[in-house]
Amino acid sequence: MTSLFGDWAALLPLLVLAGAGMAMLFVDAFVKENAQLGLFAALILGGTALVSCGLWDEPVTMTSPAILGGYLAADRLALLADMAMCGGAGLACLLAGGYLREHKLERGEFYVLVVWSTLGAMALVRATDLLALFVSLEALSLGVYCLVAFRRHSPKSAEGAMKYFLLGSFASAILLFGMALLYGATVHTDFAGMAEAFRTGETGDGPLDLRLGILGMALVLIGLAFKVSAVPFHMWTPDAYEGAVTPATTFMAVVVKAATVVVIVRVFFGVFGTEMLAGATSGWPVAVMGLAAITLVVGNVAALVQKNVKRMLAYSSIAHAGFLLVGIAAAAQLDDGRLTTETVSSVLFYLLAYTVSNVLAFGSLIAVGSRGKEAVTYEDLAGVGRRHPWVGVPFTIGVLSLMGFPPTAGFFGKYWVLEAAVSAGGPLTYLAILAVLMSAVGAYYYLKVLVFLFMKQPEAGAPVAEPMRSGYVVAALILSGYFVMRMGLAPTAYLELAQGASYQLAGLPDPNAEPAEPAEAEAPPTEVAAAAE
Amino acid sequence: MVTGLGTYLTLSAVLFGIGAAGFLARRNLLLQLMSIEIMLNSVNLALVAINRAHPTSHAGQVFAFFVIAVAAAEASVGLAILISVFRLKKSVESDRADLLKG
Repeated sequence: MTSLFGDWAALLPLLVLAGAGMAMLFVDAFVKENAQLGLFAALILGGTALVSCGLWDEPVTMTSPAILGGYLAADRLALLADMAMCGGAGLACLLAGGYLREHKLERGEFYVLVVWSTLGAMALVRATDLLALFVSLEALSLGVYCLVAFRRHSPKSAEGAMKYFLLGSFASAILLFGMALLYGATVHTDFAGMAEAFRTGETGDGPLDLRLGILGMALVLIGLAFKVSAVPFHMWTPDAYEGAVTPATTFMAVVVKAATVVVIVRVFFGVFGTEMLAGATSGWPVAVMGLAAITLVVGNVAALVQKNVKRMLAYSSIAHAGFLLVGIAAAAQLDDGRLTTETVSSVLFYLLAYTVSNVLAFGSLIAVGSRGKEAVTYEDLAGVGRRHPWVGVPFTIGVLSLMGFPPTAGFFGKYWVLEAAVSAGGPLTYLAILAVLMSAVGAYYYLKVLVFLFMKQPEAGAPVAEPMRSGYVVAALILSGYFVMRMGLAPTAYLELAQGASYQLAGLPDPNAEPAEPAEAEAPPTEVAAAAE
Repeated sequence: MVTGLGTYLTLSAVLFGIGAAGFLARRNLLLQLMSIEIMLNSVNLALVAINRAHPTSHAGQVFAFFVIAVAAAEASVGLAILISVFRLKKSVESDRADLLKG
């Protein structure tokens, strides 16, 4: 693709999606008969994911230039996040194609908002400057606030949106203040310049102000913890997830979380990765460990007592955020660069697995309900699996994968993160033990879904859930189910993708590249040796 | 008399604190929205002041413009949500938001 478009090829995923988003606005405005926008949106999002796939080995990606004057990166980490987010958003659009029609909510705005929010998320994972980070984070968040408020006549939807908006913009303000302090400390807004200032203690315009820098870093961590819904900044999550229409919940669980985790990886390893700020006993890894521990406990225990399945899945997404933070803390604790990189790649694999499992679980929850009889509580699920195995089986796979049961995607995600935490040793070992215990707690509420699906019958007189009939929903279930099983049975290909992204981020040669490439990487030292002679 | 960067940053931090305290203490959605605006504007003050102290580039001033634009977009979405809440509940008190719990 580079030969055709030159360096612009690096921007192709963004441009394709932006062009398609524009087209969708026009289609929605001028085509009165609803023009299957759900399918259209899913296809363009899928197409964007494929464009990102196609850029994987291109020179623009491999040389990783900072494009657009250093505001955006064009690296494999961004492309990997694209695949997860565009794939997830595309599947959410397919689900919406079935769900919105069934519940008589079909309006084109939904898909347009999904596409533009995804564009914000794609810019967010590429951001290599505080300005780009802030603007794209808001582009993502503003779209998602609207998605939560989408069901205009439902008080729950309005309430969820209100809480999400208030806490979300509060978090944005905190994040922004942190950014301003970081700018004050380092006199740079680009990540490379900031990292340089933190490493050398010199800003190029006077010495680094470390106190401002640390305060700024803490505020940025708090702001991002809000967005990734880590406890104690999670209050909005269950309400927004429950209030939103289920396809929008899927979008939030998948895209917002994936984008935020990738930003945390990029900022905290890229900018704050110095020995002083990322020390094993002081610095941000300790704070992340604390967040991870409390997030795991609160997320899992609160999910235990829920009666509403959607709310249970919301708390489960908080618990998964805890698991991702365990991986990030473990990566920061390992002092060997290669081990750190391996751990980052297991976090990224976890993210991929989490994406497809969540789409499958939420998609099945959508499939169980029909107009006027949306499945909400565990009781609503009673016996559905037996009466309608085509819903019961994907629900089972999705829930087992979220639980981490082999041979599904979630198993390897959890396994590799735990392995990294154990090998990091020290306090991380206790965190790994806590994570295992909390996974056992999690098994209770995940298995409860299966018990209700297959072993209970609806009580006499209770409304009997009637699954909806929609080709879109079935297609989304089949696709996400395929990826869940594929990642569980043959995870190597996906782990190699994650490794490709994390090794490039760390500046190390790709361990899975063709044999020709290591020779190239070794070339500079020989030149140096020759020059020395 | 020269006003140093520390003075501006202190003022900015005080404004940010007032905004945050207002956001947490008030129960009226509209006032909470205004508190967030105060917080964003305190950030603008900090950005511009830092840029004045380090005039090697204009990153801080440009950043402040972007913050103004984004704050406007955020206010429009926030007010839309507020109107939708008011239509359904006839109130903009965030204490009345008690449908979603647990």
